[in-house]
Order: sequence, then C-alpha cells, then structure tokens
Amino acid sequence: MHATRTTLVVATLLSAIVFLGMTVDTLRRMPARTHSNQLSERVIEGKWLWQRYDCNDCHTILGIGGYYAPDVTKSYSIRGEAWLRQFLKEPAKMYPAGRQMPNFHFTDAQIDSLVAYLQWVSEIDTNNWPPPPQGMARQEPEGHRVFLAQHCNTCHAIEGSGGTLAPDLTHIGSRQTKDWILDQINNPRGHKADSIMPSFAQLPGEEKQELAEYLASLK
Amino acid sequence: MKHASQKIAREYFLAALPLFFLQVVFGLLASVKYVWGYDPLLSLMPFNIARTIHLNLLVFWLLLALMGATYYMVADELDTDIYSVRLARVQLWLLLVSGVAAIVGYIFHWSFGMPFLEQPTAIKVVIVAAALIFLYNIAMTMFTNHHILTRTTATLMGGMVMLSVMFLFGIPFMPNLSTQYYFWWWVIHLWVEGAWELIAASLVAWSLIKLTGVSRKTVEGWVFAEVALVLLTGIIGTGHHYYWIGTPHYWLVWGAVFSAAEPIPIVMMLVDAVRDLLKARTLPIVNTLGLAWLGAGAFVHFMGAGVWGFGQTLPQINRWTHGTQITASHGHFAFWGAYGMLAIALMYAILPEISGRKPNGKQGLSFAAFMSLNFSMIFMVMALLIAGIVQVYLQRVMGLDFLEVQNHLRVWFEVRLVAGGIFFLGTALLLWDLFRLATPLAAAERVAEPEAVPAA
Repeated sequence: MHATRTTLVVATLLSAIVFLGMTVDTLRRMPARTHSNQLSERVIEGKWLWQRYDCNDCHTILGIGGYYAPDVTKSYSIRGEAWLRQFLKEPAKMYPAGRQMPNFHFTDAQIDSLVAYLQWVSEIDTNNWPPPPQGMARQEPEGHRVFLAQHCNTCHAIEGSGGTLAPDLTHIGSRQTKDWILDQINNPRGHKADSIMPSFAQLPGEEKQELAEYLASLK
Repeated sequence: MKHASQKIAREYFLAALPLFFLQVVFGLLASVKYVWGYDPLLSLMPFNIARTIHLNLLVFWLLLALMGATYYMVADELDTDIYSVRLARVQLWLLLVSGVAAIVGYIFHWSFGMPFLEQPTAIKVVIVAAALIFLYNIAMTMFTNHHILTRTTATLMGGMVMLSVMFLFGIPFMPNLSTQYYFWWWVIHLWVEGAWELIAASLVAWSLIKLTGVSRKTVEGWVFAEVALVLLTGIIGTGHHYYWIGTPHYWLVWGAVFSAAEPIPIVMMLVDAVRDLLKARTLPIVNTLGLAWLGAGAFVHFMGAGVWGFGQTLPQINRWTHGTQITASHGHFAFWGAYGMLAIALMYAILPEISGRKPNGKQGLSFAAFMSLNFSMIFMVMALLIAGIVQVYLQRVMGLDFLEVQNHLRVWFEVRLVAGGIFFLGTALLLWDLFRLATPLAAAERVAEPEAVPAA
C-alpha cells in the first residue's frame, strides 16, 4: 500500500520537475524562434482583434482551432498583403461562392493591425509545418500559383475546376492577348462598365505579369 | 443514499442535462453549416459562435455532472454529511449564471477568443471563485471529522486541485501567440489527460465498487498505479502539442516518446473494468444501466483517447494530420468515451438512490437511448475520420486549396449530419429517461412499487 503511494508521489514529482525544467528552457528559446522583438503594438493589437472576433473558432492558427475555415499560419506568405487587405475589407467580394466569412466591417486601422499580426505569425519557426505539398500543384507554372492564391478559381473555372460566376478561362488565350488580360486584372471595368470583378491592381507587378502570361498560354 | 445532504447531486444533474441537450443542438447547427454551401445564418449566428457555444456547454455540463457526483461520492465514501449544502448550492448557481452569461455574451462578440477558454476574464474570475468554494466545501467534508481518506477520495481531491490550478494558466492575455498556446495547453491537455483522468479514475473505481459488489481491495489495488502512469506519461506527454507552435525541436522527441505511452494507463483502466464486470457476473446485479454505461465507457475511452490519439501522436504522422478533420474525429470520440459516458453512468448510478426509484424501471427506453447515442457517435467519428484522411491527401499531400477540398468532403459531412440527427434523438430519449429517474416517488407510487423503497 505504502509502496504504490510512494511510487505515485515520486513519479508525479519527477515528471513535473522534468516538465518544468523543459518549460524554462523552452521559454528561453522562444523569443528567437518567434522573433518576439518584432511584437510591435500594432501586432499585439492585431492579436487582440483576432481573439475578440473569435476568429480562432472557424480558422486554425498554428493548426489549432476550428476546422471550418483555412489555416492562417502562412496566409500572409501565400496570399500576400494586397489580397488579405481586400479580403478583410469585403470577404464576399473576394470569395463570392460557397462557404463565406462574415463582413466584420473592420476599419482601415484594424485591417493594418490584423495584417501586421498575420505577417508576424507567418514568420514563426514552426519546425516546417505545414509540410510543403508533394503533388502536382508544385509543378504548375508560377502564374497558376498566383491564380490559386488569389482565389480566382472561386469565380472562374479552368478545365472544369472552379466557379461558374464568371467566364470560363480554359481557352482564354485564344480569345484575348496578354496585354488585354493585364488590363482586365488592373481595371476590370475598363472592358465592361458593370463588371463585378474586383481590381487586382494592387498585386506586385511581377505576379500580375506571371498571371497574365499563364492565362494567355491557355489556348 | 446514506445522508440527506447527498441530494444536492440531483440538483447538479438536473442543471447539467439541459446543457448537454443544448450542446447537441449547437453541434447540429455547426454540422449543418459544413453541408450548406452558403450559410443563411452568416450574420446572425456564424460558425464560430455555434462552435464556441458547443464547446463551452460541453465543459459546463461535464463539470456540473462530475462535481455533483463528487459531492455524492465523498459523502458516501466517508459516511458523512456534506459540510455545507448551502455553499454547494451557491457554487451551482454561480456556475450556471456565469455559463449562461458567457453564452449570451458570445452572440454579441464578447469573447476572449481562445478555443474552449472564450469566457471573458470577468467570467473566468467567477468560475475560479466557484471552484474555490467547491474545493473548500469538499476539503471541509473530508477533514472536519478527521476522516481517513480512501484511495478513491484522495485521488479525486488531487484531480480537483489540479483542475483548479491549471485553469489559472488560461486567464492572462499574452502578446506572443506561441507563449499563449504553450500555456493554453496546460489547461486543455493537463485537464483532459491529467486532472480529469484522475477524477474519472476515482469515480469509476467508486462506481465499480458500488455497482458490481466486487471488493474494494480488488478495485482500489490498481487505482494509484493507474494514476501514477497517467501523470508520468501525461505531464511530459503535453509535448505532443509542442511540435509545430514555435517551440524547440526537441519536443518532437520528448512529446512522441511520452505521449506514445499515454494509452498504457487507459488500457489498464479497461482491463480493470472488464475484470470487475466479469467478477460481478456471479453477484446479483442491481443497476444494469449504470454498469452498461460504465463498461461501454471504458471501451470507448480506450478507442477514442487511446487508439485514435495514438494514431496521430507521432510527429511523422502528426505533421500531415495536425489541424484536420482527423483531430475533430479524435476529439468527439475521446470526450464522449472518457467523460460524457462516465457522467451518464454516474447519473444512472446515483439518481435512483436519491429518488428511491428502481434503477431498471424502463429498460426499453433506457436501452434505446444507450444504443442510439453510442452507435450514432461511432458513425459520426468514422465519417469525420474518413473526411480527415481524404483532406490530408488532397490538401496536404496534393496541395489543393482548403475550400476546394471541403467541397470534396461534403458527402462525409452529410453522413456526419445524419449521425448527429440520430444522436440528437438519443439525447432526447436519455433526458426523458433520466428526468423520470430523478423524479422522487410519490407516496401512492411507493405502494405500487413497494420494493423500490430503500431499506434504510
């Protein structure tokens, strides 16, 4: 009777001591791994907004949370700042089909904070999580990556994969030139006054070039 | 029932059951949203609020049920009245009011925003106050007359103290997300794989002694060994949550080794329960339903927490499965088996003693509830598991976009919704059965059911 009780106490104490020791070491190393020197007031404000609006019960972050919406750990590096800003302003416009995020009517200052927070999160050393995909998506042309990252496939389909809200782009290259496509990306209403497509003028020039080149190649 | 003050357990159960029902309602709502393309309730009750309420009700109803059972069990084990019934009632109302306030607050974006711990800080403070009242009341019940604690009551007390202390780490706002999650797991993991396991081990041991008639010596012999293993593997096993959150690489080794051993005490608990149930075959069984839930619970606990948990605890696998529907499958299976079924078993064990009703009165209804709840839960976790495996393959391996993959998973979300519907019906049956069992017998009925009157 006393022997098992002693074993219980010793086992608990031992594991608690080891765990606390590892905690001390972990907390010592975490500032470098999470570059905590870059935790500006804006980033912290962004974290508070993330919590106040209960974002974590739809989205996962570092893989933890609700499984209803995409993981945001790498959103900043995958989608880019321009897309994130426009999405947070008007989610339905950037993603009009299917499962949607409510419009929280964030102010510009709040969007600044959320984007700064997501940028900080994307730079945490996560021991290479999530793992880079091993499938075909990696071998696609760079423009296709931009096409997916900007969620163009929500409205436009290519070869049967994608939305039906906007014209099918499977053979867009045989109908339009690269320059015309570039104009459309920058200013959709220049070609059609009542177009519902948002402008992607804010994308980096290089990405717009790659996207237009890729679409023009779809003959 | 030995003492009048033990009746307080009934009030805790009657408060817990409607919360369980509501938890299932909000779970159904959340799972409909997985099937709907466009959510018509997007601005009124978006997914995050439905999920928050689902999670909070889970914690609240389980805590109320386990606390009610604790009051009953400690008085029963030490053969004494509860120190203060009034304090126990104050504690119950504090928890109920703070829980309802939290849930109404979520609808108006009043949230702390960490999953499971969304309660705003003011409400967390009230919860801590209620926990302190509980610890004080239980400690005074245990020590007022210098009782010698049994192994089960000592384990229970340890679990309850650990539960309260760990909760404190979920209260502060930390600017660094990685640090915040580091300590968030001290609540979430060290609750479900630490404190709650101690509470469960102790309550299971007590119910086995009570319901099977197997000797205390046999049942209690293993309790400390199980608890020692739970803590030895579970504390450092927290490391399996520290693979990818900005914590050092060595956790991949420590977390893997210790969490891989976590199923060992769970297997011991299963073997223990089966051994006692087999022994009890030769003894007169007085409470079939209590035993059915207890035995099945030990098995589902083993499957959901042990097998499902072990299945993705190694970092080589977890790297691909982390944050997918596989985790949702594991969460539902483990919580139901380890704690949901235990809470129900305890109600079937305790309520007849308080109300004076025969425990096996309406077997048809009781078994319909038992079957529909358990089989629909198994369907649900299987559907989520398959959805998760497909998700890992398409999203993580092939690199398809999250929302595109979700469309491919729709059929499995539909299966889950149907299973959820059956689970909802089972919950209604269970509530009906347990409310019936909780209603005290009127004098006229006592004449009709003379054998139900307690001997004492």
